[in-house]
Amino acid sequence: MTVENTSIKPKNTSNQIVGLLGQLVRVREFTLVAMIIAIAIGLELYTGRFFTPLNINAISLGFSTSAVIVFGMTLALVSGGFDLSVGSVFALGGVVTATALRSGTPIPLAILAGLAVGLVAGFTNGILITKVQINPFITTLGMMGIARGAALAVTKGTTVAGLPQEFFVYGQGKLFDIFNLIIIALIIILIGDILMRRSAIFRQVYYVGGNEEAARLSGINVDRMKIAVYTLSGIFAALAGILSVSRFTVADPGAGTGEELRIIAACIIGGCSLQGGRGTVIGGLFGLIFVGLINNGMVLLRVPVYWQQLSMGIVLLLAVGFDTLSQRWQSRPRNRQSTG
Amino acid sequence: MNINRREFLKKSGIAAAAAFAASQGVNLTRAQDMQTYYMVSFLSGISYWADAFRGMQDAATYLGVEAVYTGTPEYDITGEVRVLEETLGLEPDGVVLTVIQADALQPTINNAISSGIPLVTFDADSPQSDRYAFLGTGNYAAGVMAARYIGGLVDGGKAAVITVPSQNNLAQRTQGFIDTITAEFPNIETGDSFIVDNQNTSEQAASGLAALLQAEPDIRGVFSSNAQAAIGASSALREAGLSDSVHHIGFDFDEGTLDLIDNGQLGATLAQGTWQMGFWGLMFAYMVRNGNIASVADWMSAGISPLPPYVDTGVVVINDTNSQFWRAE
Repeated sequence: MTVENTSIKPKNTSNQIVGLLGQLVRVREFTLVAMIIAIAIGLELYTGRFFTPLNINAISLGFSTSAVIVFGMTLALVSGGFDLSVGSVFALGGVVTATALRSGTPIPLAILAGLAVGLVAGFTNGILITKVQINPFITTLGMMGIARGAALAVTKGTTVAGLPQEFFVYGQGKLFDIFNLIIIALIIILIGDILMRRSAIFRQVYYVGGNEEAARLSGINVDRMKIAVYTLSGIFAALAGILSVSRFTVADPGAGTGEELRIIAACIIGGCSLQGGRGTVIGGLFGLIFVGLINNGMVLLRVPVYWQQLSMGIVLLLAVGFDTLSQRWQSRPRNRQSTG
Repeated sequence: MNINRREFLKKSGIAAAAAFAASQGVNLTRAQDMQTYYMVSFLSGISYWADAFRGMQDAATYLGVEAVYTGTPEYDITGEVRVLEETLGLEPDGVVLTVIQADALQPTINNAISSGIPLVTFDADSPQSDRYAFLGTGNYAAGVMAARYIGGLVDGGKAAVITVPSQNNLAQRTQGFIDTITAEFPNIETGDSFIVDNQNTSEQAASGLAALLQAEPDIRGVFSSNAQAAIGASSALREAGLSDSVHHIGFDFDEGTLDLIDNGQLGATLAQGTWQMGFWGLMFAYMVRNGNIASVADWMSAGISPLPPYVDTGVVVINDTNSQFWRAE
């Protein structure tokens, strides 16, 4: 009896849920964008040095490699999990590509080698989470250790340098005075965002994150989808690492330490829910920009370095708290429906 | 043709050790049971310790003893205590130890000393413990050196420091730099408001310095107090088109830093004497273990340390004129 009920009913409600949540997310992005614009204008008025090409470039470069990871992390969060291994896979992808380049591998092949390692790491995460059913926290925490350890083992703990000049074009080259790195990151964000809004396959991630059992019963191959999600997360983390090597000219096996938490925080600020089923790629980008602006602003406003972390924590909690409260106020009746 | 770094250091080190040994009349005959000395570290995978262990191995080869490297791969306080306890259980002839946390390791260090195992610390110390000696970088003095490098090149303007304020060794480097600029180069402005926190990553170093360059367009000198800072700050200067007009000195070296120096994106870096720490660390432990210390008739009964309690292994400036000596073959 219950089976019959759940097999029909949740499909409809989850459809409605997704529709409603989509609207809410748009509202959420709006408040975030408003905050970003307000901070930017405030900084410009106060310091007169915010809207300079150099400063805009600096802020954009600051979030570019992280932005490449945001697409994969948003997928993982929306699907109801998360990926703690992105910082380590970031380092591993970078050192594998750099090591391949050092041994004379052509640039495209070396990049593919780095991406392949990210693919394997992400695929393994996906298999362990779905088929062995270890929870995402433990699985990706384990992979975080494995990938970092592999990066250290490949390099024997040292940085890899002496890479060919042509490889630096991705991280250091410019197109119309804009760094290629920024363009690449924005293209990935844009494609990711469109896919998650428009593509039927990617929309299924929201169903799974919103109500996994209902999604399964409605015929979605949940396991296969989750494996794809973690595989993509691994590939994009490795790609970000490779781009970072191209920017800094050096592959560091210690790179990306703590990156996972920065990315997850940005995605949450941008509207993702740790419970799954909610969030957008562009929201994650706005989250990154918001955090980047706060950091930039604290330096422009000459906040003493000893107070910066404290101030950062307070501003983040205020921003998310304000946002959460205003959302709850706006959506109280709808929320009841969605959780009931 | 060029004598490479490894050989250079090996030869100079061995020559110095030989001179020292000859003057002390050390007995270098091999014992029938080969003595075994352990190096214990935390974060045992990272390359930083490799150079220290290379020094220890060079000393071991010279002395005819065995050097073994062990440690805990993570930044794990209880892990390093456990590894040290396990190592002491093997009854080693001596231990060369780097200390993850001074208080946590103190009881175990004292156990080693009281059970007659010579133990010296290197790179990071436990100053309240009974260890016989500490060999490491005088971080404040290193900051002084960085300040004099920048002060010698920059005439006026402002100077920034990229560091991790919560990390004690880096805070000392920063303080040495700021104090010296303030005292010796009064025409250069620096201070706490010119500190960038890079949280040990290249990305944060680049973003932080880029922002500071906007707030303070008159910056003419940058001191990066760790290796990630140097790499990130070099990128920020390049991206802002300031590589040529801002003088930049880093800290520590690896292939990446050496490349940056050779292609003009980093003026210089300060290399720590890590090989020296390992080489002299083993020498120290060996001398005590084999009864070669005669500073007084019986140092143990006198209740004094048999060794110089504090040895600053110093830093040296690497720039494009000498960088080739630091490249591994």
